[in-house]
Amino acid sequence: MLAFVLKKFAQLFVTTLGVVTLVFFTLRLIPGDAASAMAGDSLSGEALERLREQMGLTQPLMTQYATYLKSLLVLDFGQTITTGLSVYDLMKSALPITLLIALSTIVITVVAAIPLGTLAAFMAHKGRKGLDNLITGTAMVLDLMPSFWTGLVFLLFFSLTLRWFPASGDVDMSDPFSVLHRLALPVLVLAVTQIATMARITRTAVLEVLGEDYIRTARSLGWSELRVLFRHALKNAALPIVTVIGLSFGSLLNGTVIVEFIFNIPGIGSLLVNGINSRDYQMVQNLIIFYALIFVTINFATDIIYRKLDPRVTF
Amino acid sequence: MSFARRQFLSLLAASVAVVGFAVATPAPSQAQDKTLKVRFYDDPAGFDPANIFRIENENIAFNIFSGLTTYDSKTGKIIPDLAESWDTDDNKTWKFNLRKGVKWHKGYGEFTSADVVYTFNRIRDPKTASPYAAELANVAKVETPDPYTVVIELKSPDGNFLHQVANYHQGQIVNRKAIEDAGDKVRWNPVGTGPYVLDFIDVNSRIVLKSHKDYFRGPAPIDTITFQIIKDENTSTIALRNGEIDLVMRANREEHLETLRKEGFRMNKVENYAVALKVLNPAFKPLADVRVRQAIAHAIDYDTINQATAPSMQKGTASFILPWMDVYTDDIPKYPFDPAKAKKLLAEAGYPKGFTVKHLNTSAQGVTELQQFEIDYLSQVGITMKMELVDTPTFNQKRNAGDFEFATRLLPAVNPDTILFNYLHPANASPKGLNGARYDNPKLTALLEGARAEVDPKKRKAMYAEVQKIALTDLYYLPMYANHVIWPGKQKVAGVNINYLGQVNFFEVDVK
Repeated sequence: MLAFVLKKFAQLFVTTLGVVTLVFFTLRLIPGDAASAMAGDSLSGEALERLREQMGLTQPLMTQYATYLKSLLVLDFGQTITTGLSVYDLMKSALPITLLIALSTIVITVVAAIPLGTLAAFMAHKGRKGLDNLITGTAMVLDLMPSFWTGLVFLLFFSLTLRWFPASGDVDMSDPFSVLHRLALPVLVLAVTQIATMARITRTAVLEVLGEDYIRTARSLGWSELRVLFRHALKNAALPIVTVIGLSFGSLLNGTVIVEFIFNIPGIGSLLVNGINSRDYQMVQNLIIFYALIFVTINFATDIIYRKLDPRVTF
Repeated sequence: MSFARRQFLSLLAASVAVVGFAVATPAPSQAQDKTLKVRFYDDPAGFDPANIFRIENENIAFNIFSGLTTYDSKTGKIIPDLAESWDTDDNKTWKFNLRKGVKWHKGYGEFTSADVVYTFNRIRDPKTASPYAAELANVAKVETPDPYTVVIELKSPDGNFLHQVANYHQGQIVNRKAIEDAGDKVRWNPVGTGPYVLDFIDVNSRIVLKSHKDYFRGPAPIDTITFQIIKDENTSTIALRNGEIDLVMRANREEHLETLRKEGFRMNKVENYAVALKVLNPAFKPLADVRVRQAIAHAIDYDTINQATAPSMQKGTASFILPWMDVYTDDIPKYPFDPAKAKKLLAEAGYPKGFTVKHLNTSAQGVTELQQFEIDYLSQVGITMKMELVDTPTFNQKRNAGDFEFATRLLPAVNPDTILFNYLHPANASPKGLNGARYDNPKLTALLEGARAEVDPKKRKAMYAEVQKIALTDLYYLPMYANHVIWPGKQKVAGVNINYLGQVNFFEVDVK
């Protein structure tokens, strides 16, 4: 086990170093820099050069790279180039918000999509095509709607027409009600797409299992249809579903970037977009490494859960 | 480990709760004080006057700091601020008599002439690396005969000097102790003498200003102003219609303005805020010929285009200078829409079949409606205009380097000299300054420098008129339109007087 963990850790280290290097250099390949992004429309070239010096952008590239690696080793995320704020503090305040959105979405998705998908599979299995077609069809359409579009539609409908949720305002983590009120819409927007994806996968997986011998055996033992479906069929169909949950966490992190922009949520997605727009290398570098770590962790967790679900799986 | 797990569990519990209770949540209750919620449209970049950029940040600083002088919101005229009065005999030695008993924010004591010296020296100190140092390059020395008098000696006379010490950029007076206390966080800890104090800032969500109770003109009517960061304009329009905010800082989309106007919102507006110019770069051979430049001016009907594309945001103009400026004149060369004449001029210049020209623009803006019309108008005289779209930082870089054929510029200023000097003086030729066409006409340069030094207002005005005539004949910069700035708000929000820098002095704003 120790060897396994060490091996994994060495892999993680190499991967991270690769990500760090790649991110560092590709970021600087994008034309323009923090100074010209900051300056806006009416700053002269000479004044811009002063600003560039002040931001430390005139140092040689390799010097910047060495400084950056050194600071990473001691886990110093540094300050944003443009605004001189602590990157660590910014991430610390933004992270809970994004995690809350992502986890809420996953919970809602699992709670809604698995029964729906199972139901659709059951109907399809029984040859009752109507409900199955309805669920699958709707899922298909919702799945294909981009979240920047659903975001705007939901904003118009739930915020402007129904006035249920605000379009703007603080996300104050110490006030749970305001948090719920503010985050409900973005979570809903993300969940709609996720539910659609996951319901389709669940349907396919369960449908495949429903034709198996042990299901017939379970039925012949006189178990109720519900028990057969959820105890026997679903459990055996769980592997692909867990894969999708793992993957969807990844796509959710992408999704949060968009909904955070539309709904003005100060999460890490917003930080990333702002960082890129303002060419704040320090901010973007650290965030991308952070994202990479999240992905690696999720993959790791998915592996472990695989093992639990199916003892035949080995690494 | 267990801590992390507990955090994870509480997050999970909260996630589940989102589903259940979100709809039932009541709106947060309002505070007792008089408050105002304003949309802020970008990430705040800090409020250190020596290193401040972009109008939205400048608007916050405008309400925190004071200058020796400031601008009247409605007329754009220079009026007293920290200086009660001033005098000069030769535009070279300026004596300012300061207000007494002015209090700094946050208990930093009383304002005196020493603060003025500190401020200007800080701007000029190379260590500060202020991009506005050049604005004070003409200052020879700053003296303080007593705590309430400042005497500034210039190297050469400047009739526009009062603009340089106004409540804007380098002119905003700071407090030495406050700057030193803030260390490397000066931009986030502004301490001024203005009507509002920076109370709280979360760079990701909001900026909160509180009324400065000891403000020298008396406390402002509103106790708390919250600037809510809302970047997307669809969202900010909905937030205003929903009543979540009271005022929108700069709305730019014609369709939203239309909706808000119909729904009875107050359309606070300043007209002729700045002139947008097309820069015709003579480094691109056809544009080196004055006949070609004039042909382009005759070929495009800017009045009609602006009327069609953005009637509430902008209108066609023939001048660099705005009608409210004292040196404005209507006696300038004009280029009425005349495609036949344009063709004739092109033929004379040796381009009877036209040519192809590239227009630099940001991909964020894309090909604007105005540019679509330009492409069409120019094609009718044989000129093919192609768009070169790049991202904003690249755009700024290329434009600053003079690496383009057509580009645009918009330079908001109250001081007409700022506009003329920046665009037309060879000392400001790109890549150093904003003179992207590298325009250099010795006769005009001499007039510009002469006008600065001239004490007699009449003669000065005549010189500036001559400058405009020459520049618009040479036509390296083609005026396209003057634009307007609009802040839609609720009817009950009164006194939103947008000044000619596109800023609002919140001291004048009240909620009825």
